[in-house]
Amino acid sequence: MERTVLLAHGGGGVQTSELIDSVFKAHFANPYFTADDAAVLPLGQERLAFSTDGFIVSPPFFPGGNIGKLSICGTVNDLACMGACPLWLTCAFVLEEGFPLADLERIAKSMAETAKEAGVTVVAGDTKVASKGQVDKVFITTSGIGRLASNVKTSGALAKDGDAILVTGDIGRHGAAILLAREEFGIEAEITSDCAPLWHLVQAIISKTTDIHVIRDATRGGVGTVLYEIAAQSQLGIAIREADLPVDPKVSGICRMLGLDPLYLACEGRLVIIAPEKHKAQLLETLRALPHGEGAACIGYVANTLKAGSVVVETAIGGKTLLPRPTGELLPRIC
Amino acid sequence: MQDDVLTQAKSLLKAYAGPPLKIMEVCGTHTHEIFRLGIRQLLPPSLRLISGPGCPVCVTPVSYIDEAIYLALEKDVLLTTFGDLLRVPGSKLSLAQARQKGAQVRMVYSPLDALAIAKQEKREVVFLSVGFETTVPGECLAIKAAEEEGIANFSLLCANKTMPNAYQALAGSADAFLYPGHVVAIAGTQCCEELVAKGISGVVAGFTATELLTALACIVHESAKQKPFFVNCYPRVVKASGNQAAQKLIADYMEACDSEWRGLGVIKGSGLTLKEPFQHRDARLRFAIPKQPGRANPHCRCGEVLKGNILPTACSVFGRACTPEHPIGACMVSSEGTCAAYFQYGQG
Repeated sequence: MERTVLLAHGGGGVQTSELIDSVFKAHFANPYFTADDAAVLPLGQERLAFSTDGFIVSPPFFPGGNIGKLSICGTVNDLACMGACPLWLTCAFVLEEGFPLADLERIAKSMAETAKEAGVTVVAGDTKVASKGQVDKVFITTSGIGRLASNVKTSGALAKDGDAILVTGDIGRHGAAILLAREEFGIEAEITSDCAPLWHLVQAIISKTTDIHVIRDATRGGVGTVLYEIAAQSQLGIAIREADLPVDPKVSGICRMLGLDPLYLACEGRLVIIAPEKHKAQLLETLRALPHGEGAACIGYVANTLKAGSVVVETAIGGKTLLPRPTGELLPRIC
Repeated sequence: MQDDVLTQAKSLLKAYAGPPLKIMEVCGTHTHEIFRLGIRQLLPPSLRLISGPGCPVCVTPVSYIDEAIYLALEKDVLLTTFGDLLRVPGSKLSLAQARQKGAQVRMVYSPLDALAIAKQEKREVVFLSVGFETTVPGECLAIKAAEEEGIANFSLLCANKTMPNAYQALAGSADAFLYPGHVVAIAGTQCCEELVAKGISGVVAGFTATELLTALACIVHESAKQKPFFVNCYPRVVKASGNQAAQKLIADYMEACDSEWRGLGVIKGSGLTLKEPFQHRDARLRFAIPKQPGRANPHCRCGEVLKGNILPTACSVFGRACTPEHPIGACMVSSEGTCAAYFQYGQG
């Protein structure tokens, strides 16, 4: 049968990686091509980080944000994860014929506010309109350039045995907010997206120590997918403690009803930070003092005693089990 | 308090020194939670947990998928289904593959959503009605609403199952059952009590760590008395009389029939089908579906896995040709399937 693109190819899991490796990497391979959030490019004495991200969220407005805010946060956070101060952004809109101008205005306003909060400038853009039905309301792509702080080098490949694994707040809230906003389940709960720009958190921790091995934003695919990627890149094992995972009770309730794991629900304002254990207390204290970092927690550790590439969960009752690997679309269970 | 109960149950299980016991869970959510919580590692080797046919997707025979695909490709029917069924392999195609060939298949979260689609559509809409006592009442509600509102283009392709006769078919496979909490919450405890007279033991269990460990500890405790037993270990949800409103819905619209279970064959009186006054909504009759071959992949050993005869790891295609991304057998498809649980949680 002819191979075609499946929804699962866009899920951020194994099938996304397969698609990137078999199609894009095969054609684009070059020394700068990266599996991390942004490419690092030398320019004279400086090092720049360059990243791009497309946004197709449905619905475009949701509790805690909208597609515009999301598109700024996404690219800002990708740059921040490389230890780069975000400087300039461009944005490209694909609009559906008939989309209300008032909604577009709301989106642009919130993009401007978020850019201001993040300290970036939107310097260029592009607008295309597709006839009705060819796109779903509005799609946005943003690209951004940032300047790397000297001495900071982060990558999933740099995780080391014994490192502590931190998250900057409760997990899975964006994914849960979107699921509910789609109104397909007839479930109502007040869950707002965690969507936020996070450079200030990175700036604060690298001002305390540059000895940080990995910073990743846990977007599509959630914290679980990020941990598997880091385990694969570093060829080490990762252990997480179920009891220490920060999850909003409303989010865990939704997950239990729908058979989902908060570790695989998207976040849009959460970092996974991996650093030597000795810095743990200072990093947590720094993060917790800042907006969007109040709920920071240490959730586990990196270990060379675990199978390379694996992610193990130490369950609350003292069992140990592999974290199921992320696979494709999130399908709810039927009973 | 909860913590005390948990600690007590854990130490009771850990200290077990009696004869080897095989305990079979027959609920997909139990299978999933037992793996997710890492419960097997808390048990001594003499206590063995085996997974029985608890996942509705897994017990659905290959021929059922073939029937559904026939409706979509030959009769131009719009199929509506729970998501888990999409990737279950039929004789030649899965529903997901049939969709790529032009079959109209839509995923829904409730049979009432399927009915809502039927209201908007001119063509025939069929809901793939699988599932145990827990799912059937929703399917009956959809039929009730379709009748009341006169929605003519809506029908069910039934492969619903009920548990009581399956326990008897499986009686030799285990020393005690962990009865499915939600099924018993609907059906009531009478069936489990009657099984005691037939020499079949078990306890009904909830789904939290404390509830599961307490239920297992209860089995260990009762087994020492060496006579058949039943205990309701999920009293906060399971009442002896069950959910009578749900039972009435089922009794109003459905009646027992013989039903084929993947791996177990046809079990007498273990299925549900629409009663005579509603048979115009039985897709099998409505579209006169010819008998489908239902040929499973010859390498697949899901049938033996479902009976608890082998562990998934003993199957030659497990984890090699058969993975959650490319499943060969039904037990690898649903996240509640035994093979998928073994694959994903890496235990064996």
